[in-house]
Amino acid sequence: MKSLRVMIWPYVIWLGIIILIPSLFIILATVSSFHIFNDYTFRFTSEFIRFLSDPIFLNAFKNSIKYAGLTTMICLLVGYPVAYFFANMKSKNKTLYIALLIVPIWSNMIVRIIAWENVFKPVSIINLFNLSFDLIGYDVAIIIAMVSMYLPFMIFPIYAVLDKMDHKLIEAAHDLGAGDFQTFYKVTFPLSLGGIVSGIIMTLLPAMTAFALPERIGGGKVILLGNLIEKQIFRGSFNIAATVSLVVMIVMLGLFALIVHFDKEGETLL
Amino acid sequence: MKKLIEIENISKSFDETLVLKSINLYINENEFITFLGPSGCGKTTLLRILAGFEKADSGVVRFEGDIIDLIPPHKRPINTVFQKYALFPHMNVYENIAFGLKLKKRPKEEIEIAVKEMLKLVKLEGFENRDIKTLSGGQQQRVAIARAVINKPKLLLLDEPLAALDLKLRQDMQYELKEMQRALGITFVFVTHDQEEALTMSDTVVVMNEGEILQIGTPQDIYNEPKNRFVASFIGESNIMPGIMKKDFLVNFEGLDFECVDYGFKDNEEIEVVLRPEDIDLKPGDTGLNGIVTDITFKGVHYEIIVDVKGKEYIIHSTDIQRVGERVSLSFDKEDIHVMHK
Repeated sequence: MKSLRVMIWPYVIWLGIIILIPSLFIILATVSSFHIFNDYTFRFTSEFIRFLSDPIFLNAFKNSIKYAGLTTMICLLVGYPVAYFFANMKSKNKTLYIALLIVPIWSNMIVRIIAWENVFKPVSIINLFNLSFDLIGYDVAIIIAMVSMYLPFMIFPIYAVLDKMDHKLIEAAHDLGAGDFQTFYKVTFPLSLGGIVSGIIMTLLPAMTAFALPERIGGGKVILLGNLIEKQIFRGSFNIAATVSLVVMIVMLGLFALIVHFDKEGETLL
Repeated sequence: MKKLIEIENISKSFDETLVLKSINLYINENEFITFLGPSGCGKTTLLRILAGFEKADSGVVRFEGDIIDLIPPHKRPINTVFQKYALFPHMNVYENIAFGLKLKKRPKEEIEIAVKEMLKLVKLEGFENRDIKTLSGGQQQRVAIARAVINKPKLLLLDEPLAALDLKLRQDMQYELKEMQRALGITFVFVTHDQEEALTMSDTVVVMNEGEILQIGTPQDIYNEPKNRFVASFIGESNIMPGIMKKDFLVNFEGLDFECVDYGFKDNEEIEVVLRPEDIDLKPGDTGLNGIVTDITFKGVHYEIIVDVKGKEYIIHSTDIQRVGERVSLSFDKEDIHVMHK
C-alpha cells in the first residue's frame, strides 16, 4: 500500500491550490482592505465587525436561514416517509426505484432551476394543461424549487440507515409489547437519527449558500448570503464579500462537526 | 399436565416451497421442549408462527385453548430470545431490559427492582449502565434472556440462542437455562440443530426434517428408540443395517437371527436395525459377527473403532484399545438392538 501513497499527492496539491490558499486569502481579505480597482493600498481593518451588524448582511443571513431552514424542514417531512417506504419495500426492483430518485441529480442544477423558473412564469409550457402561474419572486416558488433540488439529499442518508437496520430489532420491539407506533418512536426513529442529521446537513448546507436559485426564481428580489457575496464582488467590495464567505465557512464547519459527532462511521455520508 | 399450546394442522410455504407440512403438536405447561432438526427443516418458521411474526397458510394455534392466529406479536403473552440477540444498540443494558415493562407503563420503582432481579438472575449485577457494544457475546446473550424473561411470559421462545457462543460457554449456558426454566416455571420452546444441546436440556424433543415432525419424545426415547433412519443418524452416531423382522422378538440381519425386545411388526417385514456404537462390545472368539479392526481414533473419553464385518463398516465406541488388523467379534445385548420401520 505504501507505493500507492504517492498517488494521493495530485489530490493534496489540488486541494491546496483550490481550497487552502483561497481560504487563506478569504481570511486575509476579511481582516484587511485592498481596493484593487482604486489605489492598490493594503491595510488591516476591523471593518468586518461592523458589517456583521449591517442590515444588508442581517437580511441576507436571515433569508438564508429562513429559506434553507424551511426547505430542510419540508424535505425532512416529505423525505423521511419516502426513505422509510423504499427501505421497507420488498420489491425486486427496489434498486431501480432508488435509481429513479437519483436521476434528477444527474442533470445540471442550473437547467433544473431554469425549468422551474419557466413553470412559474405566466406564459409557460404548463399553459397546455390550462394552468398558469405568476409566482416569480414569491416565497412559495422559491421553496418549491429548493425542495425539489435538495429532496434527494435528504432521502438518501435516511434511506441508507433504514435499509441497513436489522429487521430483527423491529421484531424484538413488537415481541416485547410495542405496537407499530411505539416501535417506530422507540426503535426505528432513534436508530435513524444519524441519517436524519446527515440528511439535514446535506440539505441545509447547499440550501443556505444557494445563489442561482434565489436569483432566478426570486426575480432578483430575494437576497441570500450567496447573492450578497456575488453582489459585493461585482461592486469590488472584496472585504465585505470575504467577510460573508467566512461566515458561511464557519457555519459549514460547525455543521460538519455535527455530522462527525452523530455519525462516527461516516456511513450516511454519500 | 395442562396443555399450554396446541398446534393443529399448521402448513406454511414461502414462494411455492412448503416449509411446514401439516404440523400437529401440543406443548405442556412448564415444559422445556426443543425443536431439533437440520437447517431448513422448518423449526424456526414454526417458532416464528408461535411468536406471531409469520402467519400460517392453514391450521390454527391455540393458546390455553383460544385461537391466537389473529393476535399480533405485541399482544401475545409470549417473548422471544433471538438468535443474534437483537439488543437495541441505542440503549444501555438497563434500558434494554426495562423495555417491556416501560411499555406497560409500570411505576419506575417497580421497574428498577425488576431489572435488578433480572440482572441477578443472569449474573450481570452492576452492568446497568454498560453500553451494549461493550459486552461480550455471552453477556449480550444474558441481557437478551433478561429482556425477555422480565415480562414474565407464559411461553419463552429461544431461537438457537447458544449458536454463537464458544463450546465452554455454551455448556454453561445450557445448564443455566435449564435451571432458569425450573426456577421461573416458564414454558420454554427451544430451537436448535445441535442434538447434544437438545438431549441435555429438554423434557421433550421434537425432531423435524423437511417440514415434518419425525418423532416426539423424551431425550431418552429419541436416542434409544429412534423411529426411523433419519432420527437415528441425526441423533448421535449409529450403525444402521437392513434386516427382516421374522416375528415378534426375533430379528434377522447380517444373515443371523437375534433375539430382541421389539414387537408389533408384520411377520417377515423388511426393517432397519440400529445399534449404537457404545452398545457394542468387542470380544475375542466367535459370535457370528466377526471382523477386522481397520481404524482406531482416540476421542478423549473413548476410542472410536471401525470394524469391517463382511464388507460393512461398524462404528464402535469403547474404552479399551484395539490394534488395527486385529480379528474381533461383535457382541451386544438383546435390549441394544433397536428395530425401525423402513
